[in-house]
Amino acid sequence: MTAVAKTDKMICPTCRVEMNHHCDKLVYATDPQNAGQTDPNLGGFIEEFHACPKCGSGASRHA
Amino acid sequence: MEADRPLFIPVILGTARMGRMSLHAARLVTEELGKCAGVETDLIDIAKLPLPTNDAGEAIKQADFSAKINKADALVVVSPEYNHGYSGLLKHVLDSCLKEYIHKAVGIVGVSAGPFGGTRVIQNLLPVMRELGLVTIFWDINFSSVQKVFNEDGSLLDESYIRRIDRFLKELIWMAKTPRQGRAQISLD
Repeated sequence: MTAVAKTDKMICPTCRVEMNHHCDKLVYATDPQNAGQTDPNLGGFIEEFHACPKCGSGASRHA
Repeated sequence: MEADRPLFIPVILGTARMGRMSLHAARLVTEELGKCAGVETDLIDIAKLPLPTNDAGEAIKQADFSAKINKADALVVVSPEYNHGYSGLLKHVLDSCLKEYIHKAVGIVGVSAGPFGGTRVIQNLLPVMRELGLVTIFWDINFSSVQKVFNEDGSLLDESYIRRIDRFLKELIWMAKTPRQGRAQISLD
């Protein structure tokens, strides 16, 4: 399975507005908790980074 | 709108050693940054961050530091050069966050007792900054022979540094504004 960006928008916990997806990072999991989420094609999992257009706050989630 | 919010650009003092001359450099940069219109700043002294040393990375994230970096639009890292490198504590602190840094500008200030003004520690910090998702600016500040730049009380002896800091801050502020708009408005998808 190849990880793809989620289409549902993250919501800023402070402003309650949709956040903007502006970056991804390939994370090589070392802890067993994340080992099951590894994409075999990438050797790790994708972490998405989002920013709030209102307050500028950042947030991330697994793709 | 986010564009109406003042820029927040904290200064990280990257050493906890006794007698650190970098404190004077960090205070001076913070003071000059505080004079810039539309900019708020804060001096983050890593010696005062209660981070444990029996673990590392995001597992030891400290709430106040994380909140300040999350709020930041850009950062200044003031680092002395110890045996050509940065302090272990600075790396320990920087590694405690990740999402808070992504696509934010960073300016680096090198400090040394010798003539090279921390150029080697700046070179060593560049790959670390990049891996944290920070975007380095073009202009550095190099405090060479720092013991001659400041008095023991921290007062500035060499006024030429004010012009160098001014150039550095102009670029940093420009670089703080540009990715801020991109983070908030321009989507990857």
